[in-house]
Amino acid sequence: MSTITTAAPTAQTRRTPVGTLNVFDPSPLNWLFITWNTMEEPIRTDHDGRAVYSMATGHRYIDGGKTLEIDIRTGVSFQNGEPLTAHQIKRAFDEMQRWEAPHPPGTWLNFPPESVAEVVHDHQIRFHFPKPDGLALAKMRGFHVPSMSFWSEGPGFGYSREGSGNGNW
Amino acid sequence: MIAVQRATPFACTWLIEKEDRTPEVVMTANPTYWDHTRGPFVQKVVFRNALTPADALDRCISGDGEVDIVTEVSPADAQRVIDSKFAHLEVHDANRVLVGVFNRHPNRDVPLDDKHLRTALNLAVDREKVIRDGLLGYASNIASLTPPWCAGHPKDLQPFGCDPAAAKAEFTHVKWPAGRALRIATGGGFAGIANLVADDIRKNLGIAVDVMVGDDAGALGGARALAEGKLVPEWDLLLNFWFDISSEAAPAMIHREFFGSDGAFRVGPELPDFNTLYDDMAGETEPAAFVKKAETIDRYSKEEALGLFLCSPKTLTAVNNFVKFEPYATTFELAEATILDGHWSTKK
Repeated sequence: MSTITTAAPTAQTRRTPVGTLNVFDPSPLNWLFITWNTMEEPIRTDHDGRAVYSMATGHRYIDGGKTLEIDIRTGVSFQNGEPLTAHQIKRAFDEMQRWEAPHPPGTWLNFPPESVAEVVHDHQIRFHFPKPDGLALAKMRGFHVPSMSFWSEGPGFGYSREGSGNGNW
Repeated sequence: MIAVQRATPFACTWLIEKEDRTPEVVMTANPTYWDHTRGPFVQKVVFRNALTPADALDRCISGDGEVDIVTEVSPADAQRVIDSKFAHLEVHDANRVLVGVFNRHPNRDVPLDDKHLRTALNLAVDREKVIRDGLLGYASNIASLTPPWCAGHPKDLQPFGCDPAAAKAEFTHVKWPAGRALRIATGGGFAGIANLVADDIRKNLGIAVDVMVGDDAGALGGARALAEGKLVPEWDLLLNFWFDISSEAAPAMIHREFFGSDGAFRVGPELPDFNTLYDDMAGETEPAAFVKKAETIDRYSKEEALGLFLCSPKTLTAVNNFVKFEPYATTFELAEATILDGHWSTKK
């Protein structure tokens, strides 16, 4: 993973969304694009595919690379008003880890089963891996983080919705 | 979807059996999204899934109000979009590769486990012609598997040139069975490119080439057999297409899939040297060192001629003239999409 950049600043005035777009996307990855349009991850990619922070604002490896510490953006809320904290990220990680293969683009996106997420405080989380994982931040591109109500009241993924991790989204 | 899984080490390849899209998917803007410099600027996006690709493109380029954006426009249709009074063509580098997979299984009559043969085939193909005539210019040349704009692309690594003399020199080291035709397999979408490649190989190596074009009905079965890796394919070279979800770690998403221990497109025995290089990169947490190790993997893949490296096709998108939309290299996201004055949806 090369050096990550920070997303655009948020100083300018908010514009009211207007109008309707009709789009047609025949890509077999349309399911993934819908997910990326409607959910958020610790990082995303810019137009050129370069990583930029999204829910995250900073990161560092500690413990010889076996732990990835991520700072979580403050002042951000989900659509239902629920403030973003490290707790939603831990919940999403724990749900994801129940699956054998949660990522159709490849099992390289899997975190080792022994991995553990630890909330340091509301806006910082650590991921502990069994060995140094240089791909951990890249894997975060496929790590979708919803609100808590997504799991308890909303559609959910995998075990939350289907009672299994057999790949039903 | 079906999942082809292997227990040790655990690996899984997902294959789409069929799509069951609703006629429409409607996304509404989240007005409280934190990064309001990015968007959303449009109130509603409607995915019109009931249309066919041809119908959707016709509607986009022949009027306003039906379809504003069409992705995955074929190079063959690009000029129609350019000529439209209602839409324009957005062309963007995409993290996609078109690659020939070598059937490296040992003890076959054709020795594609021999680097000389793989190198000869790479030197026999005119990539500029493939890009010009096969994709009408809408692709970039690649040296190996990492597109040139991505991290981990060695800046000094040049694509194989078309060099018939060098190709023949490499081919003299190969025990090619007399009268045996090279068998190139592909899906219907790349049949034209397969024939361009075949013509070059016939001309520059002096051997016969058969092109085997699979139909859509057999595509899933072929993909499944490829992922399972239990059967030795009858083809020698498979034209295959793959993608990346970022520009940061191409060996994880691309090289590993073609050559890695758990790669769905690896056809032949494991490559211990590749596995060592990959594991070294995957455990590297220092950014600069990670990039160097990614470069080493890309360079190794070319030096060993592990694939027939062809090109990186660009993404072509038809966009209504009252819409501002910049494509992504890795995704189709609409947060920044903007409608301009005069757009059909804001007219009273």
